[in-house]
Amino acid sequence: MSGNGMFGYYANLALRSFRRNRVLTALMVLAIALGIGASMTTLTVFHVLSGDPIPQKSAQLFYPQLDPRSTNGMEPGEDPPGQLTRFDAEALLREARGDRQTMTTGGSVSVEPERAGVSPMLVDARYATADIFPMFEVPFLYGTGWPAAADASRERVAVIAKSLNDKVFGGGNSVGKSLQIDRHAFRIVGVIDDWLPVPKFYDMNSDRFGDPEQVLLPFSTSRDLKMGRNGSMDCWGNNDSEDPEGETGVNAPCTWIQYWVQLDTPAKAAEYRRYLENYSAQQKAAGRFERPSNVEMHDVMGWLDFNEVVPGDVRLQVWLALGFLLVCLVNTVGLLLAKFLRRSAEIGVRRALGASRRAIFAQCLVEAGAIGMAGGILGLGLALLGLWAVRQQPASYAKLAELDPWMLLATFALALLASLLAGILPAWRAMQITPAIQLKTQ
Amino acid sequence: MLDMRQVTKVYRTELVETHALRSLDLHVKDGEFVAVTGPSGSGKTTFLNIAGLLETFTGGTFTLDGENVQGLDDNARSRLRNQKIGFIFQSFNLIPDLNLFDNVDVPLRYRGMPANERRLRIEDALGLVGLGSRMKHFPAELSGGQQQRAAIARALAGSPRLLLADEPTGNLDSQMARSVLELLEDINQQGTTIVMVTHDPELAARAQRNVHIVDGMATDLSVEPSLARVPQAARDTTTASNA
Amino acid sequence: MDIRPILSTLQRHKTAAALIVVEIALSCAIICNALFLIGNRIERIGMVSGLTDNALVRVQITGIGEDENADALTRTDLAALRALPGVVGATVTNQLPFVNSSWNTSVNLTPDQDRPTANFAMYMGDDSLLPTLGLTLVQGRNFNPDEIIEWAALDAPNAELAPSGAILTRKAADKLFPGQDAIGKSFYLGDGDATRVIGVVANLVRPNLRAGPAENEFSMILPVRVPYSLGGNYLLRTDPARRDEVLAAAKKTLQALGPNRIVLEDNSKSLQALREDYFQADRSMVWLLVAVCIALLVVTALGIVGLASFWVQQRTKQIGVRRALGATRGQILRYFQTENFILATIGIAAGMLLAYGINQLLMARYELPRLPLSYLPIGAVALWLLGQLAVFGPARRAAAVPPAVATRSV
Repeated sequence: MSGNGMFGYYANLALRSFRRNRVLTALMVLAIALGIGASMTTLTVFHVLSGDPIPQKSAQLFYPQLDPRSTNGMEPGEDPPGQLTRFDAEALLREARGDRQTMTTGGSVSVEPERAGVSPMLVDARYATADIFPMFEVPFLYGTGWPAAADASRERVAVIAKSLNDKVFGGGNSVGKSLQIDRHAFRIVGVIDDWLPVPKFYDMNSDRFGDPEQVLLPFSTSRDLKMGRNGSMDCWGNNDSEDPEGETGVNAPCTWIQYWVQLDTPAKAAEYRRYLENYSAQQKAAGRFERPSNVEMHDVMGWLDFNEVVPGDVRLQVWLALGFLLVCLVNTVGLLLAKFLRRSAEIGVRRALGASRRAIFAQCLVEAGAIGMAGGILGLGLALLGLWAVRQQPASYAKLAELDPWMLLATFALALLASLLAGILPAWRAMQITPAIQLKTQ
Repeated sequence: MLDMRQVTKVYRTELVETHALRSLDLHVKDGEFVAVTGPSGSGKTTFLNIAGLLETFTGGTFTLDGENVQGLDDNARSRLRNQKIGFIFQSFNLIPDLNLFDNVDVPLRYRGMPANERRLRIEDALGLVGLGSRMKHFPAELSGGQQQRAAIARALAGSPRLLLADEPTGNLDSQMARSVLELLEDINQQGTTIVMVTHDPELAARAQRNVHIVDGMATDLSVEPSLARVPQAARDTTTASNA
Repeated sequence: MDIRPILSTLQRHKTAAALIVVEIALSCAIICNALFLIGNRIERIGMVSGLTDNALVRVQITGIGEDENADALTRTDLAALRALPGVVGATVTNQLPFVNSSWNTSVNLTPDQDRPTANFAMYMGDDSLLPTLGLTLVQGRNFNPDEIIEWAALDAPNAELAPSGAILTRKAADKLFPGQDAIGKSFYLGDGDATRVIGVVANLVRPNLRAGPAENEFSMILPVRVPYSLGGNYLLRTDPARRDEVLAAAKKTLQALGPNRIVLEDNSKSLQALREDYFQADRSMVWLLVAVCIALLVVTALGIVGLASFWVQQRTKQIGVRRALGATRGQILRYFQTENFILATIGIAAGMLLAYGINQLLMARYELPRLPLSYLPIGAVALWLLGQLAVFGPARRAAAVPPAVATRSV
């Protein structure tokens, strides 16, 4: 009574019905397609922006936060600052309580290539310590990162991105070659292969969906050479000292450093948190920290969440599209209801000839599902169009808006689910049609 | 075959209670050809719906081919209807989207029959009613008489035990009506029980037995066998039509 | 027209009627909020900057390595820029509106305060800043040349220097000294001496607009002469028609004067272009919202047409009977239009409530203001009109049903 045979029969009947009511069917398919297209466009963008940038390790990389600020301007329950002071970062780095750790911040350097025809350029830089490369599993095309000793000795070594390597050295293995950075000669120790963590989780103060920096060099070297900063700096209180480095000095009351620590097990993570609390208490006792202990430590996804990495506009657009889809569904429910009830005579006859209510319900659902699949195919086309339109936007995340296999599957799943849901009420009404009443015409 | 004892049917709405059938007693033996007559509003349509398991009844008992249909759920009734009963309606009720082959196919599909068996039965049934050459035609392309014969083929394809006909010749002219009725008689002679609802006394006269329903109750009116049955020989000469 | 029979008919077709009502309600709710968002964004895109947007061009340069002669080079730059044909004024400053970097600082009314009174964007420039940017003074005066301090002096370690005077925007002045005349009043930028308000400009929007519309114009201008190496913003004032020409000339001049510098091509454009880039996301949002509103109206219209046609077909016999009993075509037409109007009214009423509900959610999650009542009639009228237009076709078909239908039995 049921099974593949009946499904094929119902599919056949559905197709005939579509052919007979081309306009109505086309309108229903179009309505679903519009809703699916809009929803999948916005959902794909959301999916891309809210993904895990480093899934193999995101639960083992943590971002500690301390609160070194003065009591001036304190609000109760405030979050600790989003960056560390140089003093705290260097202290944590020295004590090295994690499996790996790095302190890093954004910078801006000028590069003067020796290649003819290539003019000097200003590039985004990252000042960091040796551990950053294994921690973030940065892929290398040539060479490696610098060793820990280079941090200590403020060596003039640099790691550059593939794009810069192509521009300055014409591609090829440039390890060992020299590059003029901010008028100083640096030795290339590594060239990074294509690398695009989405979002750029390690620094929430730069373009969150932009390209990673093109030059990486040791933090200590950047201070030695007074290289320019690129990011956000928050200072409080007075910079009384006569430190020539001013606000980038070790004792400056300013937060501007990002600190990441790798903790391989949850036990280690708990232990590190306790260590942070201790450190904070010590600093308070020493008079450096004025506020009560306010320690936080998020893992990668927690940190992204906390920073609300997905732009508000994107989230708003998802809701808008889903609202639109809902209206399209209600529309479909109505049109399906009209379609099925128009055929009450036929349904009554089928019932009289032995179709059970379940058989009629199944037949109607198959028809609804068929419309859904057709809507899904058209909707997929519309979504591809929509994503193309998104890619034309100047936003930095725009070029990432592409359909991946999961979203493709999700398109059809959504279309099918939506149409079946829409079909339940009309199918239920259709199956209530009693055989007796429809026999005589009214 | 069909055994109704004191069957009642009451329709209740918010304000009004209608007794369509009051204590109806009706028995149809295996192989009989019974005509059910009565004025409009008498309840003969309700009787037909109940007999065809299209409606439930309020009181009494109803046994169909030995099976008590009381308390059967919708699925069971649908199954029973599909396997044991064939319907013939006044307005044919063929599905306009489907050709004759597919129309006759409908009840067989709900029985879960394999494709080969279905095809054989459809071809046989359409052949029996003289429409074997028009299997791919659509109802709109046929005359009223042809449509009714196709409907009969649909009713027969599943080898039902009981044929229920509701004014089968109501929408046909006299020539077509005659050929349809002859077809029904043939079917009856081959052993199928037929219960035919009609208000046409001439039609009723062709049946073996008449039952009259008035105000929801039945009265058996036996008809003289001699009047009901035209001699075989004489009948054969009038079946030359191919309406 | 007596609506009781219409209502009782609708009661017997509850499902289809409910579907139309729900569809209209959802559409109304979404459209009202969408229109509001559109208005909001358009307002944001059109915000007054305070500068003469169409007369300004910005060139951003950076030094290669540290420049010890930045101050001197800056003076040479400005002299050369001011001499360019078409240039009416030129100045150098640390920041400007519609870019992604900003300088802000806390501002206090007394030297030792627990909480800062406010947080202002800090623009720095000399007396050429106001006329070049085209800022409008509403009170007080521009800086005098003797009030300007050098950035190097301010930035030196342990410097307790504070600018003696500052120019505030009207909104900033109101924040510090509500309801009073701000001229002559003092405030504190840090631990140093007080700074006096010597002028108030009408508008000057800050580069960082994330603190919300109320704080968009919390800006102040300090009389500090900055070298090009601090932000590298050269702003030139010219005739709108000569902007491209001036931009090209300026870039060439600056490159020639300081070969150890890089002109940031991507960032050197007219202020208008910078402004357009800055609001690109808002513009895209507006287009998207418009598209969704239109699509929503189309889909709702189709739904109404579909269900109305179905009803007409269902009630063909009934309509024929009415016509046979004396109803005119016009009365049949009006019947269906009234029926649609009733459904639309119920839907719109529900939609308004839903619109407010949605607005509450948006207010909480996305920092939007409350939906003003004036948007509701727009949504209502749009859907009423849409409904009437959509039902017109099926209603005309209903009116065309001949009375003879009443007597047919098949």
